[in-house]
Amino acid sequence: MSTKGTRIPEWLTVPFAGITPAPTQEKGQDLFPTGNWRSIRPVYRDKLPPCNNACGTNEKIQGYLDLVKRGKYLDAYALIKEDMPFPSVTGRVCYHPCETACNRGQYDEAISIRAVERFLGDLGQALQRDVVKPGKPNGKKVAVVGSGPAGHSAAYQLARLGYKVTILEKSPKAGGLNRGGIPDWVLPQDVLDREIERLIELGIAIKTNTEVGKDVSWDSLKKDYDAVVLAVGLTEPNSVRAEGENKQGVIYGLPFLRDIGMGTSKVKLGARVAVIGGGNTAIDCAREALRQGAVEVTMITVEGNPKEMPCVPEDLHDMLEEGVELIHGKAVTAVLGNGRVEALELHPAKFSGAINASPITINKDVAAEKFAVDNVIIAVGQHASLAWLPAEFKTERGSIKIDRFGRLGDTNFFAAGDIVQLGSGQPLMVVNAVGDGKRVAFNLDKALRGEALEPRKIAIDVIVDLNRMNMTYFPHFPRVKQDMLNPTSRKKTQDEVILAFTEEQAVEEAGRCFSCGTCNACDNCYLVCPEPCIARSDRSNGLYKILVDYCKGCRVCIEECPTGCLEGVPELDFDAGVVRMDTAFAISPGLHGRQAQELANLASRPAKEL
Amino acid sequence: MATAMETIKKKTVRINGCVASAQAAKYADVDVIAAYPIRPYTATMMALAQMVANGELDAEYIVADSEHSQLSIAHGASSSGARVFTGSSGVGVQFAYELYSPISGSRMPVQMMIADRTLDPPGDFGSEHTDALSTRDMGWLMGWSCDAQEAFDNHLMAFRIGEDRRVLLPQMVCQDGFFVSHITTDVELPDPGQVKEFLPPYKHPYPLDPRRPVSHGPQIMPEQGPPLQLERARAMEGCMPVIEEIHEEFARIFGRRYDAWLEEYKTDDAEIVFFLQGGHAVTARFAINHMREKGMKVGMVRLRTIRPYPTERVCETLSRFKVVGVIETNMGLGSVSSGGSLYAEAAAALYESPKRPLIMSFMAGMGGEAIVLKEFYWMAQKMIDAQKRGKIEKRTHWVGFEE
Repeated sequence: MSTKGTRIPEWLTVPFAGITPAPTQEKGQDLFPTGNWRSIRPVYRDKLPPCNNACGTNEKIQGYLDLVKRGKYLDAYALIKEDMPFPSVTGRVCYHPCETACNRGQYDEAISIRAVERFLGDLGQALQRDVVKPGKPNGKKVAVVGSGPAGHSAAYQLARLGYKVTILEKSPKAGGLNRGGIPDWVLPQDVLDREIERLIELGIAIKTNTEVGKDVSWDSLKKDYDAVVLAVGLTEPNSVRAEGENKQGVIYGLPFLRDIGMGTSKVKLGARVAVIGGGNTAIDCAREALRQGAVEVTMITVEGNPKEMPCVPEDLHDMLEEGVELIHGKAVTAVLGNGRVEALELHPAKFSGAINASPITINKDVAAEKFAVDNVIIAVGQHASLAWLPAEFKTERGSIKIDRFGRLGDTNFFAAGDIVQLGSGQPLMVVNAVGDGKRVAFNLDKALRGEALEPRKIAIDVIVDLNRMNMTYFPHFPRVKQDMLNPTSRKKTQDEVILAFTEEQAVEEAGRCFSCGTCNACDNCYLVCPEPCIARSDRSNGLYKILVDYCKGCRVCIEECPTGCLEGVPELDFDAGVVRMDTAFAISPGLHGRQAQELANLASRPAKEL
Repeated sequence: MATAMETIKKKTVRINGCVASAQAAKYADVDVIAAYPIRPYTATMMALAQMVANGELDAEYIVADSEHSQLSIAHGASSSGARVFTGSSGVGVQFAYELYSPISGSRMPVQMMIADRTLDPPGDFGSEHTDALSTRDMGWLMGWSCDAQEAFDNHLMAFRIGEDRRVLLPQMVCQDGFFVSHITTDVELPDPGQVKEFLPPYKHPYPLDPRRPVSHGPQIMPEQGPPLQLERARAMEGCMPVIEEIHEEFARIFGRRYDAWLEEYKTDDAEIVFFLQGGHAVTARFAINHMREKGMKVGMVRLRTIRPYPTERVCETLSRFKVVGVIETNMGLGSVSSGGSLYAEAAAALYESPKRPLIMSFMAGMGGEAIVLKEFYWMAQKMIDAQKRGKIEKRTHWVGFEE
């Protein structure tokens, strides 16, 4: 008898035939620690999705799309509200750099993120009480000058941090550029009104008809408040420096839109209107002109073709659909007429490439061309009105001089939005101003607490390479299109042109999201692991756990991770949780014996119902 | 799964070895049959297919796409707690090789019927034991029957032994192709009541069952291999008293008594004995009777169970004789005797004996050839010569190819 006198030590006692009790979610297979076979360890390492990175305020876009996908709309709304005070507004007006960056664009069509944001924003608007609450009062007072996107955002975040915030707005109505720069048919006034109400619900005081430099001074701001955020925006339209520009019938784009927005417009347009400029404001002006009664609207741009125009292509497309004509490569050199504009003198022109100085080269060797008009709307950018600002904080291009934290020198004044972003290379857009307001609010808070301020973070590991994901999990699927009003009827009304997603559309579109580089709890790793080495406590983000005592590093989960969140990290990079070959034995003495006992008891346990 | 046999009493039928095996599976009321045809065992599966088709037997009859699948099906079915019957011959046995160790290692009492066939090349239908013997160390209980009746009885006993909670091992129940599988003889079929008394329903302690989930066959650490292997060795050795006990029980219920390990034939005063297993025992008995009439003190020891190997019994028994001639009926190319594998094991068993007989190996009955009377005489003469000389001429003789 060869087995006579043999003895199996207690710590190596194995259950009958190696049959083990069933693995559990918490402990996996809990018997044979095969983890020392591993040279690569799977690690959940979320990357930054390109949408989140491209967003001016770094909305957690992947996060809320994922929540929408699961029908958790309120959670999605709450998530968006962390970074964005008014998703109902940006859901309509944003130039969506997120969609431009969307990895899905490389694959079929970018996700219609803005439409989903609008869906969530409108959901938030319908709530009786907002999900956001003011912070515990800290007794400190902050003034925010300007109620446009940057001021709105800064005031919102500061209120959440517990500050007593007062917004000073020079116009009769709060909203700034959101109200005065965006036409009703893009952003209905009542939507904005509701967002302003939300600010008041947070305990923010809004003083309208209060202009810095006139009603309040630099010194009084300094005296009356612990800190100030200057978000005054760019309020003054640029001129085209053409002869006769002061004639009647010449209007500037921003005041044109602003007066309509504020309800104080007295403009009556003639039949023929020329719009000077090729940017987004010019497009809004051209389309608004149609709605204000113009019959023939012509846009005159220095840019040589539509592709060079610094605007959002969809808006250009929608404008052309409404019948606006384009003239390219021309500059206005004179406004002709007897007291009132009758025609424009146009010369061939192009951009010289020079920055800030005189960017346009006009060819006056060619005979001027006359273009008959009844009105001209000039929309070639805007600048600030900063007479009230101490000279030391002004830049040569007329914006506010700040450090990399958004602070004016060593004062408790901070500045945000277009007023600091002009000429910074960052496109001037609502979402960038919102992000700026948010970051400045956080730095203001740090300054008042005496903590170190933080510059804008540079993103590391933005996932843009589709090879880092497993594309076999993503069938091609077209973008869900937002319905729009018919161009012939819409161009005469202030009705919103682009229609909202239905719930079904929002869920379908959110479902197209790759969740680039980010775990979205798809359960694939949990399902494909050949042994139960992946434990799951709940089916929601980030709650998977690799049981490293058992994981053999087969890489199946890594390869099969659709989003590329799972990475294989060489085992040598770790100094904990590793069972090395030379120390290989049962994880704890007696484990096997315990398992053997558990198996023996199995028969006496009641059978679970199937 | 009650059959319609309840009222039928014991009866004698005239069937061959293949059908006897099928009848045994039917009497054992197997749950799953995993089939894949290869001569000569095919007739067993044909018989079972008919029984299932005509309602005589209520079982899952699964036709696999190869022997590998066949044994995999058997393994899976057994893991779920079914009583499983399968079988094969020759190269078919080899093709399923991967599964033998997992099935025995997971302690699944699958029963496999083998009707031996010579391994290729070239294709030879004749019986040679190498097919099954090549798997002899894979942890299966294994033994040869020498006729259809014994085959029937061995199948029933093997189920009972293999499924015993003290054993839980798979069984290979072997018979020579053609000599047993295709020769029709009288076989006594028992009363189902007797079988019911002898063979209780099978119940594995830890089957795969979603109501009481367990993991079978997980990966293990190197140091967890030895304790599991030791447990397998303990199972193989520990089953020896159980095998004897169940042979006794069989004799009590069915009235046929078999020695669990060895059959001795006319050995009381024998000086020389043939040592063999399987169907050639029938012709050996005839030859011994013929030689006895001429006054030769010759007998036969037949190995009935080769796994577990009855080392002590073989040692004690063979030590009583002067010369042992091992009739191989299997190939052990390049082995210790350069003949078959039976010699090596018998010689090893005898090594500790204080009274070792001379031992030699005969390559006879190879390729399915019958061993004729003349050849038994030739082998006996070699043994007598060695006895006289006190020394063997050489370890292995190729019978029919030497003077």
